[in-house]
This record gives sequence, C-alpha cells and structure tokens, in this order.
Amino acid sequence: MTTVDQPREPALPSERGLSRSYPRPRRAPLNWVRGRGLAAFVFLLPLLFVFGAFSWYPIVRTAIMAFQHTNFVQAPTWAGFQNFAAVWHDPQFPIAVRNTIYFAFLALIFGYPIPLIAAVLMSQVRKRRGLYSVLAYLPVVIPPVVGVLLWKTFYDASSQGVFNTILHWVGLGPYPWLQSQQWAMPSLVLYSTWANAGATIIIYLAALIGVNPELYEAASVDGAGLLRKVWHVTLPQIRGVLLVTMILQIIGTAQVFLEPYLFTDGGPVHATLTVMLLIYDYAFGNSLGGDYGMATALSLMLAGFLAVFSLVYWRLTRSWSTA
Amino acid sequence: MSKPASGTGLISELEWQKPSTRWGMRTLHALLLAGLVVIGLGPLLWLAKAAITPTIDTISNPMAFFPHGAAWSNLSQAWNGVHVSRYFWNTIVIAFGSWAVQIVVATTGGFALSVLRPRYAPIVKGLLLATLFIPAIVLLVPLYVEVVRLPIVHKSLIDSYWAVWLPYGASAFNVILVTRFFDNLPREIFEAAEIDGAGPFQLFWRIVLPMSKPILAVVSIFAVLVSWKDFLWPYLVLPNPNVQPLSVRLPSIESQTSLGVFLAAMFIACLVPIAGFLIFQRSFLRGTGLGGAIKG
Amino acid sequence: MKSTRVAMIVAVAVVLGVGASTAAGSTRSATNVTISVASLIPGSTQQAINQFNAQVAQFEKKNPTIKVKPTQYQWTAPTFAAKLAAGTLPTVFEVPFTDARTLGDHGQLANLTPYFEKLPYHKKYNKAVLAEGTDAKGQIIALPKGAYAQALHYNRALFQQAGLNPNKPPTTWAQIRTDARIITQKTGKPGYVEMAKNDNTAGWILTTLVYALGGRMETGTGTHAKATLDNKYTIQALNMLKTMRWTDNSMGSNFDLGWSDINQAFAAGGVGMYISGSDVYTNLVQAYNVDPSIYGVTTIPLANNKTAGVLGGGTLAAVRPNANKAELAAAMKWISFFYEQPLVSKGQAIRNAKTLVANKQPVGVPALPLFNRKQYELANSWIEPYINVPIGHMKPFLNGIFTQNLIPEPEASTQSVYAALNAVVEAVLTNKSTNVQQMLQQANAQAQAAIKQGS
Repeated sequence: MTTVDQPREPALPSERGLSRSYPRPRRAPLNWVRGRGLAAFVFLLPLLFVFGAFSWYPIVRTAIMAFQHTNFVQAPTWAGFQNFAAVWHDPQFPIAVRNTIYFAFLALIFGYPIPLIAAVLMSQVRKRRGLYSVLAYLPVVIPPVVGVLLWKTFYDASSQGVFNTILHWVGLGPYPWLQSQQWAMPSLVLYSTWANAGATIIIYLAALIGVNPELYEAASVDGAGLLRKVWHVTLPQIRGVLLVTMILQIIGTAQVFLEPYLFTDGGPVHATLTVMLLIYDYAFGNSLGGDYGMATALSLMLAGFLAVFSLVYWRLTRSWSTA
Repeated sequence: MSKPASGTGLISELEWQKPSTRWGMRTLHALLLAGLVVIGLGPLLWLAKAAITPTIDTISNPMAFFPHGAAWSNLSQAWNGVHVSRYFWNTIVIAFGSWAVQIVVATTGGFALSVLRPRYAPIVKGLLLATLFIPAIVLLVPLYVEVVRLPIVHKSLIDSYWAVWLPYGASAFNVILVTRFFDNLPREIFEAAEIDGAGPFQLFWRIVLPMSKPILAVVSIFAVLVSWKDFLWPYLVLPNPNVQPLSVRLPSIESQTSLGVFLAAMFIACLVPIAGFLIFQRSFLRGTGLGGAIKG
Repeated sequence: MKSTRVAMIVAVAVVLGVGASTAAGSTRSATNVTISVASLIPGSTQQAINQFNAQVAQFEKKNPTIKVKPTQYQWTAPTFAAKLAAGTLPTVFEVPFTDARTLGDHGQLANLTPYFEKLPYHKKYNKAVLAEGTDAKGQIIALPKGAYAQALHYNRALFQQAGLNPNKPPTTWAQIRTDARIITQKTGKPGYVEMAKNDNTAGWILTTLVYALGGRMETGTGTHAKATLDNKYTIQALNMLKTMRWTDNSMGSNFDLGWSDINQAFAAGGVGMYISGSDVYTNLVQAYNVDPSIYGVTTIPLANNKTAGVLGGGTLAAVRPNANKAELAAAMKWISFFYEQPLVSKGQAIRNAKTLVANKQPVGVPALPLFNRKQYELANSWIEPYINVPIGHMKPFLNGIFTQNLIPEPEASTQSVYAALNAVVEAVLTNKSTNVQQMLQQANAQAQAAIKQGS
C-alpha cells in the first residue's frame, strides 16, 4: 500500500532548492544533481550492479548460449537450433521428463493432502499449538544435505539398515529402497515430503486461522457436521492459498536436483534422472568440459514449459479463486 | 456472538461441550502429536544418538541404545580430525557475507525505489518482478560461465567467496519486501527531517534504517538460513576443499570418514539452524505463515 | 557523518581484501619461484600429510630458490573440469591416462618436451606408458607418475573365517564364484563386491572383467573408432554378475559403491573380494588405517584365450599451460624429484622410503614399471629393506602380473565408454529381469555417438 501525496508548489524557501520524492518534471544536469537524482542513482548502484551482473545479464546470456557452442578454449560459435535438437534426440531426455513428472505427481499426492489434514487438526488445538508447529517445521530447518545423507543411512538396503530394522519388528522387509529401480523414486519423494511438509503446514495453518468464524457458525446452525463444514466452508475459503501452494509445489518439484543427485546420482539405471540433473550432467558431468549449449537449451525448455504451465494454471483457476 | 477461544470456530463452542467431540478431537490431537514427534523429531534424535555411538554399533544394531557405551570421541574427531571446525567457520563466513550483501542491496535499493523515487524506478521495479517469475535454473549455467571467467576483467572468481556472496545479493524477493515496508513508513517523518536539513544519506542512515528493524530481522533470518542450507551453487564455484562450507563438504567426505564420525559431523552441522530456529521461532513462523501458527 | 563514511569505506576495503580469492597459482619475486603442487587426497591422515611435507622440505633444501605449496587434490570429473576452466589447478597436478592426451590436444597442458629431453633418464621410459603422455603432435604434455594393473583384492581374515585358505586365492572365475558364495554363507558378509556407481567406476570394472575374458570395447582409434561394447564377452561377464547377484546372493545389498566407498567398506571388514587398481593399498592405509593382516591381493583370473588380458591404467603429472618459464622449470624439477627420482636414483629412493616409513606410510605397494623391467627391479631392490607392507600377502599378485597381458584402457572417449556401461551394470545388479542384450545395444549406440564427437 503506497501513500500517494499530491505534488504541491514548494512553499518554504528552504524547500525550493530540494526536490520532493514525488514524480517531477525533467531537469537539466546540474539541477538533477542538486535535485537528488544523483543520490537516487548512488543508492541504486549496489542493486543495479548486483542484479545487472548476476541476474539480468545471465538471464540474457541463457537465451544467447542456447544457440551457441561454448567451450573455454575457443570463442563461441553460432549453432542455430542444434542444441535444442540434440537435447530432443538424447535418449535420456524423455526419461528425465518422465521421471520429473513422476516425482512431481508423487510429491503432490503425498505432500499436498497430508499437510492440509494436519493443519486442519492443528487449527483446532487449544493449548500449546506452538509445540505442534515447532515439531512440524523442524525438518524444514535441517540443511537439505544433512537430511539427505541422514536418510541415505536410513535407506541402507541390508537387513541392518535403520528402516529395514524397524520394519523387521513388524515382520516386513528388508526392502531395497534406493537400490531398486521401482523403489528409488518413491524413496526420494518420501524424504522430500518429510523435509518440506512442515513449511506447507504452517502456511495452511495461517490461512485456516483467517477463516471467518461466523461462516462456521452459520453452517453449524444449518446442521452441518465437522466434515461437511470442512468441505463447504474451510476449503472454499482457503482456496486461494491452496491453489498458490499447489502451483508453487509443482514448480519447485520440477526443479528437483539435490535429492536425485545425492541419493542416487540419477540411478539406478536412470530411474531418478530428473531434468535438472540432466542439465547438470550436460554442463558439469564431463571431466573434459561440459556442453553448455545443451545445458542452457534444456534450461530454456524447462523455464518455457513452467511459464506456459503457470499461465494456463492461472487462467484455469482464476475463476475458482475469486468469486 | 462470542468468538471461540481457539481461533477458527470449525468446531463451535457448543460442539466442544459434547464429550464425544471433545474426546474424539483429543484422540486425534494426541495421535497427531505422537506422529509429529516420531516423524519430525525422531530422525534428529536418532542422529544425536548415533553421533556419539561407536560406528560398529550403529552399523550392526542401529536402533539399539548404546549397547557398548557412548563414543564421545566421534564429536571431537569430527571437529578436529575431519576439520569440521574449519568447514563450520567457512559456513559462518559465507552466511555473514551473503547476509551483508543482501542487506546492503535490499536497503539501498529499497530506499531509492521507495523514498527517493527517481523517474526510472518503475522500470527497475518491473525488471525485479520479472526475475521473480524466472526459475533459478535458467541462471545457473551462464552465471557459472560468468564466474569462471568474468566478462571484462577476464579474472576468475572460482574459489573466492565473492562468487557466492554477490549472486545471493540478487534476491528480488528481498528488495520487494523491503521496498513495500518502506512504502508503508509514514512520509511525515521524512518531510520533517528534510525540513530540518537532512540530506538523503542522513535520511537513510538515521531515519529509515532504525525504523526498519522488523523487516530487516525477517530478511536476515532467511538470508542466513538460505545460505546455511545451500548446496549446488557453492559446490560448483568452490572446488577447493579448504574454503567449502559444511553443506558442500559433507557429501565429499562421506566415503573417507567412518560412519560414527560422519554422523557426528552431520549433527554439528544441524546445531546452528536448529538453535536459531528455536530461539527465533516467532520470526520464522511469522515470516512463513503468520502468528496463527503459534497462538493458542 | 564524514567519519562514518570513511569508516565504511575502510571496512569495505578490508572485506574486499579478506574475500579475495586464494591464489591457487604461482607468483614470482626477484629470484624465487613459487609453485603449487598437488599433494594428497582431502581427508588423508595427519601422518600422510606430515610425510608429504617432509618431502617438500627436502626438495626446498636442495632447491633454495623454489618454494613449494602443497595443495590438496583429488581428480573427480566435475571439480577437475571446473578448476580447468577457471585456471585454478595447482601448477603441478595429476590426470589419469584416460584424459591426458585429449587435454594436451586441446592445449590445456603445458608442453614439457624441452625439459623432458634434459632429464638424464628420459630414454629409459617404457614406450607404451610414455605414449599416454604424448599428444597427437608428438609433444610430451605429461609425465607418467604411476601405472597400475587391475588386481583382485581379498580379505584374508574373511577367507579364514569361511574356511578357505588365504594363501590360495581363486585362480579362475568359477572359483571366485564359489569362494564368494562360501564367504557369504559362512560370514554373512558379501563375498564379491563390484563397483556399480554412476561415476564411471561401474563401466571401468566391467571393462576389466571383459578384458579378462578376452573381449574389447573398441576397435580402431580416434574419432573413427568403432564401439564394440555388445560383444559376447561382455554378455558373459554380465551373466556371471547376474548369477552371483541373484542366484548366490553373494554380492551384498548395496550397489552404489564407487572407488572410495569400496575401499572404505573393505577396510572396515565388510567385503570378501573386489577388483580395483593394484595400488589401492596406499589409499587403504592413508585414509582408513587398514589392518595389514587382513589384506591380500592376487591377479585377476584370465580366460584361456589369446585376447584375455588385464586392464592397465595410470596417472600422469602435468603442468598448467599458463605457467611461465621459471615456473615450468621449477615444476619439472619437482616432478622429477617427487615422482620420478625414487625410481631411478638410489639415493633418492632410499631417502624417500625412509621418510615414508618414519610417517608410517606404506613402502613397497605393488606398482607397474614406468621404465624398463630392469630399472623396475633395481628400484625395488633399493627400497627392499624399508618395505613395511605385508609383501608376503601380495606375492600372488607380484608373481603373476608379469605373465599377464597388459592392455591399456579403451583409447577413444574412454570416460564416455565407461559412462555408457554404467547403466548396464546397475541394471543387472538391481533388476533380476534385465534384458542384457537390449541394454548393451543402447550402451553401444551411446558410446559410438560420443566417440564420433570426440568427447
């Protein structure tokens, strides 16, 4: 919310030499300096430098590098659409796309409803709700590298592995976890849910608290039970938050890198190869120097896909979240 | 109508009177709490236990509770022998530098965009918003190529902490957050200061910054946390093991370190984020999702 | 105000200075030259580090104008590429045989030929080994510092525990299979473990197996080479692994072990037998303080045909291409002192051995000759009094290796060939119903494409 003041004539003598922080007409250079144009520019310098050098310039370069062959020995040469074609024809590309979709899908199934249910329950806790929140959020503050390495220990496939030992107590297992092409991806999703659900719970909790209690009272008067109230009052009221977290989660999981890299390095047999990991392999996987053209081409393809997806999503859900 | 004490009213006061509802919810809550303890706290408790258990015991009997006594030496071995102390220090240096760059960029930029408002401010704001919508992957490769060989000076930032600090500063989220906060500051105070003869720098240093403590706290906490947790970028630009932070070093030493010592190192790596979280709970939970998470 | 501003500027300057990149390169003052050299793998024991520093001190005493800065170093694909691109490799660094020639052809290694020809022993080099450090133009761009052959390492204690004779390790693949099964049954530890990690060690060991059976992964050289990954010996090797894994269950349950992981597991007593380079004992001591009594090594059994042989590889020492003349001369002196002299100069060999022994580092780990056989045996005789490795346990390897046919790694796009094979190995070990034929054909196509591109 910005306060907008009406521009007014400089009334006091001391004000005439200074400019107001409002939109003002063009000035000659000396007046610009005196008029604090220089100050504004100086204050913006850190931002302009940092963003210009490390954000805007690289973004522009991605678009350029995707159409070039780059290595560090010779100057870059133009390659037209060759990089894109090379990516498209790489047998690992469809595998990576399929795996990324699979990961996002599993993550949505596990990671979406569970935090919601937990948040609904937590919103009804009358005492020490903070304790629940702290416990839920704890896995989120653990550095992801530690979390992954810890769970890698848990996932040891021998019968002395932690999970296999625990499951043995109830007569199950031992399971191959990361050593099996079928189990590897679900194992990654399980870890990812553990590590990230807490943040989602907190967001949902905040939204739930904000629901107008009078709506619930009206529903109770109409004779609605708990579940019906959730379905007819809660969900529609927090619809906006639900939709935003869903798209954010999809966008986040589409860029998943750390879990497949540290847990299985894309294996076994490419079962956990994601698009992000493929980009990394293109750029950094070869000891003799990477193919930066293919890496940026794939980055552009992924970014483009996410942009289109977000647009479509926003269009489709716009009617649902307002009204 | 009186508002229910707990906050949402999903279950009305009337329903709370019913013993079946009360006990039903209590059971659910107990189950939820138990679940959260086992799932949220369990792995960390295991890590704490395993950090001081001899490797052999952890391997052969991971769920046992100190069958042959504790091995506190794991911790000292991790701290000294495996040089976790050095990587810990590196992590702190990186976090501090990232925090400093982010604060400088966000406050100066926010001040210019919100208070000084040059004519081209909308263009800058637009560019910032645009970067918010572009996923980070798009940046990775060209940023790396740029850091390896800087465009004009042809020097390399590889193995220098600037390669990590500076890109962190380019957080549009921070700038927008701070700009909006500054937008909400009362203009009268600025005008009063200008009448008293304050120049822009004094306005910034003596008026705006001291009033910005809340938003700077939020930005700071997340700056430090993000930096502590980051892996891929520092991994790419800091190949020299002596300057690597904990997150980057831990995976590399896994195969050279015995399991007990390695788990001790991991435990040490968790201490700062966990301690920071417990101390600054309110800011964390408020920053991500508001006070509703802690009331009650 | 003003003082605050000044203070801020000073603070910024200090921070800039603190954050500046650590110089991983070389500097030059009036008469002195400083070079940085690759030292040990990060994570090495303090004793290993002390031993290295002692050798640096010796060198600096002999060459007072040269200052040497040890830099921890480990060759892994991504970090090497990063340092290479950024120019932050130490002045003297190491590269495996597989990459040296390509790097030299791309101008990424300094030309050492003029200094090489001044070395007194330069004619004594084994030609095949020297060729690994020679680029397409015939220039020497790296000096061999160590050569190895693949060997079968085994845990004598586990053998004993399983009722097998540790002095009679397996000599055929059928025996390996049997012994592995017995070890698993009697001790619960995996009897035979194979590297199956995605970092190309999987392909490396599979290629070793295929060579041992008589097959080759390529014919021809350079970008015109033809990939032959799907030959019948590869299928045979994979079927062997399949049987041990699924029928005998003697390969353990974790299949993502790489070079370091398998060494770590072995040193901890969790592996019956495994294949790796003949020189891993050094790493076993330096990183894991392995108990010498459990270590045994023998040759890999070869099939009974003319093409069966043992895969050989090695490491070379190279110099950064942007080193100036003084640095280059200093670098060559270091390379000669640290890597080559212990093999050609009696005095240096003995000094070197004494330093290693004093710091409890292994002396006498089996290596392959860089020079001719005569020189090799002469050098071994010099250090014989100082040998502190269980040389008796290594006899099966030492006795057998010189009767085996030594075969270099696939010449064209070596790392890419290994990369193509990684998935096949993983598949066989993690999925009982893998279609080996189909996967090999895919791998072959992938390797062929990489060869054609010269990557």
